[in-house]
Amino acid sequence: MNRKKFITKSGLALGGGLLAPYILPSGRLFAKSGTVKADHVVLVMFAGGVRQQESVLGRYLEDSQGVSGAAGNIMPNLFEGNAPNKKIAYGTSVAGKPNGSEPIPKLLTQTMEKTGLLFPEMRAQSAGHYVGLNTLLTGNPGTNQGLKVRPAYPTIFEYLRKHAGFKATDTWFIGNGIGNSTPLLNSSNHKDYGLAYGGNMFAAPVTFSGAGKEVLGNAKTYSRTDLEPMYFMKNFLDQSFALTKDQISSVSNTDEEKTQIKDFIKSVFTKQQAGQLAMPPVTDSGDAINIMYAAEVLREFKPKMLAVNISGVDSCHSNFTGYLQSLHRADHITAWLWQHIQNNIPEMSGNTVFIVAPECGRNLNPNPILDQNDWVAYDHSDANALRVWGLMLGKSVPNIRIGGEAQPVGRLTDIVPTIADIFGVLDDVNACGLIDPLARSLYQRI
Amino acid sequence: MNTRNFSQIYWWILFLLALGHFSCTKERIIGYNVESSTVLEDKSKKTKKKNDAEFISILYTNLYQTAISPNQLYKTQNVLYSIGDQDVANEMLLSNYFNTSGITIPKDALMRSDIDAFVVNTYKRFYLRYPSEGEKAFFKQYITNNAAVTVEMVYTAFACSEEYQYY
Repeated sequence: MNRKKFITKSGLALGGGLLAPYILPSGRLFAKSGTVKADHVVLVMFAGGVRQQESVLGRYLEDSQGVSGAAGNIMPNLFEGNAPNKKIAYGTSVAGKPNGSEPIPKLLTQTMEKTGLLFPEMRAQSAGHYVGLNTLLTGNPGTNQGLKVRPAYPTIFEYLRKHAGFKATDTWFIGNGIGNSTPLLNSSNHKDYGLAYGGNMFAAPVTFSGAGKEVLGNAKTYSRTDLEPMYFMKNFLDQSFALTKDQISSVSNTDEEKTQIKDFIKSVFTKQQAGQLAMPPVTDSGDAINIMYAAEVLREFKPKMLAVNISGVDSCHSNFTGYLQSLHRADHITAWLWQHIQNNIPEMSGNTVFIVAPECGRNLNPNPILDQNDWVAYDHSDANALRVWGLMLGKSVPNIRIGGEAQPVGRLTDIVPTIADIFGVLDDVNACGLIDPLARSLYQRI
Repeated sequence: MNTRNFSQIYWWILFLLALGHFSCTKERIIGYNVESSTVLEDKSKKTKKKNDAEFISILYTNLYQTAISPNQLYKTQNVLYSIGDQDVANEMLLSNYFNTSGITIPKDALMRSDIDAFVVNTYKRFYLRYPSEGEKAFFKQYITNNAAVTVEMVYTAFACSEEYQYY
């Protein structure tokens, strides 16, 4: 080799060596085309089907049960408005007083509405739970989405991992159980994305249940010296078997990430045993437990993107009192999570955008099922079930209220482009052509 | 010969022919020169993924040499399903098993006394096939050169490998 060739080849090798670590999984060299608005996003999927009337409109029993003078706001952390002063049944129960007559004390000094961006009248694209959850995570109306299958279109986790170069432990979905296909929401089965780009997931109330402790809690803590040969031998065996892309059946964490997740699971069991888990002041629901574990994941991994779902309000199919209590508690635990981030996770405090939205609404007219208070119940299938709201607060989020009952603004499919916008990859996500053509970043709706 | 005698002879002949046709015949032994052999899996033929229940049940039986109870299987299945990274879930399950008594695995000393046999038996135990020469050479060299490698580590690598997820 002559000197000229040697210098050319050495230069190319050096250049390649320097650039290679910066090439994203998508093959792109530069990560983001837009401005990054915040380093973290937490999405609370305020699911289960929430009526506008009892939530953002603050109508309590006036619109639902025809009780005159019983309007009022039962979500004091999220929305502005005075609490009802008649027939209080949504709170906690205190001995000697009627059930649910003690409202949970407000956690936040200022409501989320007052400090953030509220879209009080948005449109859901489906009146169903699973399609609604899909919509929140994929930005696609999901009209052809089946149950018991992964989302047909890429989720926000996959978009972020592919186009923003996030690692697996940067993206988390915390599901509130293993029913209703919830554990499938961390990744789509789309051929260009899929589990290779999927987010990590815990159906936390199951992972950290008594059964979870029995199955996982006694696992050995291997040292790095122990793990190295195991992974070395496993990687040899896997290379020899060589799965094709469509056979990949798990999220792609690195060996270090896997070790961190395993250590985390064990640490949660230890904290559980010692009663050291941080939890909302009122933790009498499955939703509260799930939010509590979501907070643990936030504390440990400081993920770029975490979505957590709750669904207690779905009791509204047959128990309106239970629905009101769940709604009041959902407000409480959502506020607690926001407060927990601000007060206990310095890496995320002041650098997080918090988004809250239901996956669908509920009907205008009731079904005939009466509960213990003789209040009628509501399903979700009519036009009223497509009425929802959306809230954003946090870093650089303007304090405005956009739209109103007579002037709907925004769609649930807007949530994904909004998150993509926050991380500076909106153009990339739009260019894929896989989200709702009518969807816009909520920043563009202002 | 009158007609009557002829008729009798005719019926006798017919009777004898019928007797010959329906009577026992000597059994013919037909062989196709097939030799008996042990049939083992070929990794290239493993295309079906074990479902959660199959994986857990097979793993449990492999390690404890007894079947898992339906209740335990149900609980384990739910917990594994609740974790996004199935590798993490499986590794923790396995490590949990290794931390219990009743598990049937060879001693480390036995592995080191005959590494060749250990490697072949491990491939048969987990993959239901013989290792290739390359695979045998890799494990023999790796185990020989790394004194810290234990049976538990080798078994963990096999049980968490992708091939073990398929049949």
